Amino acid sequence: MHKNLKTKFCKLPLNSPIILLSGCVGFGEEYTRIDGFSNAEVGAICLKGTTLEPRLGNMPHRVIETPSGMINAIGLQNPGVDAVIDNILPALDKTETRFIINISGSLVADYGEIARRFDNSDIDAIEINISCPNVEEGGAAFGNDPDMSYRVVEACRQNTSKPLITKLSPNQTDIGLCAQRCIDAGTDGLAVINTLTGMAIDTNTRKPIIGNNQGGLSGPAIKPIALLKVHQVYQVSKKHQVPIIGQGGITTVDDALEFIIAGAAAVGIGTALFYDPLICGKINAGISQYLLDNDLNNIDELIGTLQLNNSTSLC
Amino acid sequence: MNKGSIQVIDCQILAHDQFAGRQHILTLESAQIAKATKPGQFVHVSVSNMLLMRRPISVMSVDIQNNSFDLLYKVVGQGTQQLSERKIGEVLSVLGPIGNGFTITDKKSPLLIGGGVGMPPIIAAAQQIKNSVYNPFVILGSEVPFPFTSKLSKIPTPHIKENFTMPLLEDWGIACRLASLQNYMGVFKGYVSDLARVYLDGLSADELLQVEVYACGPKPMLAAVAQLAKSYQLPCQVSLEEYMACAVGGCAGCVVAVQVDNRPTMQRVCVDGPVFDATTVF
Repeated sequence: MHKNLKTKFCKLPLNSPIILLSGCVGFGEEYTRIDGFSNAEVGAICLKGTTLEPRLGNMPHRVIETPSGMINAIGLQNPGVDAVIDNILPALDKTETRFIINISGSLVADYGEIARRFDNSDIDAIEINISCPNVEEGGAAFGNDPDMSYRVVEACRQNTSKPLITKLSPNQTDIGLCAQRCIDAGTDGLAVINTLTGMAIDTNTRKPIIGNNQGGLSGPAIKPIALLKVHQVYQVSKKHQVPIIGQGGITTVDDALEFIIAGAAAVGIGTALFYDPLICGKINAGISQYLLDNDLNNIDELIGTLQLNNSTSLC
Repeated sequence: MNKGSIQVIDCQILAHDQFAGRQHILTLESAQIAKATKPGQFVHVSVSNMLLMRRPISVMSVDIQNNSFDLLYKVVGQGTQQLSERKIGEVLSVLGPIGNGFTITDKKSPLLIGGGVGMPPIIAAAQQIKNSVYNPFVILGSEVPFPFTSKLSKIPTPHIKENFTMPLLEDWGIACRLASLQNYMGVFKGYVSDLARVYLDGLSADELLQVEVYACGPKPMLAAVAQLAKSYQLPCQVSLEEYMACAVGGCAGCVVAVQVDNRPTMQRVCVDGPVFDATTVF
């Protein structure tokens, strides 16, 4: 591993700024089926979204390719928090990388309870997924309501001393306000962004292709949106030294560098793995070389170094 | 979990032949995949630089002498359309081999049934058991012209009067008959499950004890074959397909509903399948 890639995120030492994203890499071992893939090449792996009770998830189809991306609606298929703690976590090779659990719930109290149970495990950090559409109040997603986001993060904070990373929804008017509320509630880090909601229709049947009718759009199609959201959130988070995982369509070395320059302290890779399962080694090498070429000792010296243009318009 | 069992390989296109009904047979070069692939396994192919997601395609046959393997696919969407435009000499990124293929059991008279682009894993299974103690019978069905020039078979099949076959299977010494609702010469007119019933009705009770059914094709076909197998009390393995993203078990995008211990579960076609016990699916 390149020495200049070593970094810290929420005080966790990481081998690399790359974090594999929840929902793309199962429970951490699935990609090791691929010859040449190693968990040791990434700083951390964010495990599959976990709920209080087991969930079977949505009916197929669950995925469909769309221009420069894909839509998914898996429906949080998982064996439930107890099975994850009892059966899955003990089997993970924790010498290779860090593991972050992603948690989801229908009620505020669910989040608190799941966080409490993982607090007693050896998981390195907890990512709070506040984009679940099935919620207690009014049916709106938690993540699109800054006050509800606050309550979810607060419930988790009260139940764990582990690092908390809150995954923000892009499907809201003011992501900066939501970030501020999550920081107020005690989140240690932010993941920016979750998928954008989208749809694809089969013109022969006139039905949505995705079994759940709609799903989350990921891949290069959303990268410019994600990049701007990271820039916007960074304006809020930097005052509090709350680090950001920049994520959304990162597929190349330059993509990763753009996110770091915009303010990300780590970069999430998800959909790109489906194109190239060996992409992490290539992005590591590219970031490392960029740091050398620009006389930077580590990525801390690159984070948030964006030089904005003077945007005064000419009348 | 078989760590490191899936290779990421750049494979050169050695041949790419088009057949009627927008069907294509693609021959790719890879000694590793030719050697390692088991019947019913598939590869996950990058079709072009325009579409980033890979496409899962079953391996139809392998040629260990020539370090190559064949895929059969039909153009149904953008992905297969772009794949069909790739030329001999170009290189495709391939992940594979992937999945739990057919488990060839000790029942000595396998009944292998393939419909449409479900033919490849059936042909792959036939290739594995040619020149062995097995006495297989293959039924292939298609509603568009078969992706080969069918010919008169010299291998007798009592009780079935239609006598055209797939030349490759004939060369392997494997009995095969064809089925279609279309009026094709020498082809049984009806569904593959109808032809399978004619075949099974010609077997004695002792012979039926040696039959296991292996099937791949469209879901309605598989449901009919599963029902037929059940009515004859025959074990039956079916190979399924579903839209797929990662193909290594990471995303849970390609699931199908499967009964396990009389409870519903969602199993991944890529690594839990693609082959399942028919009684757990239908």
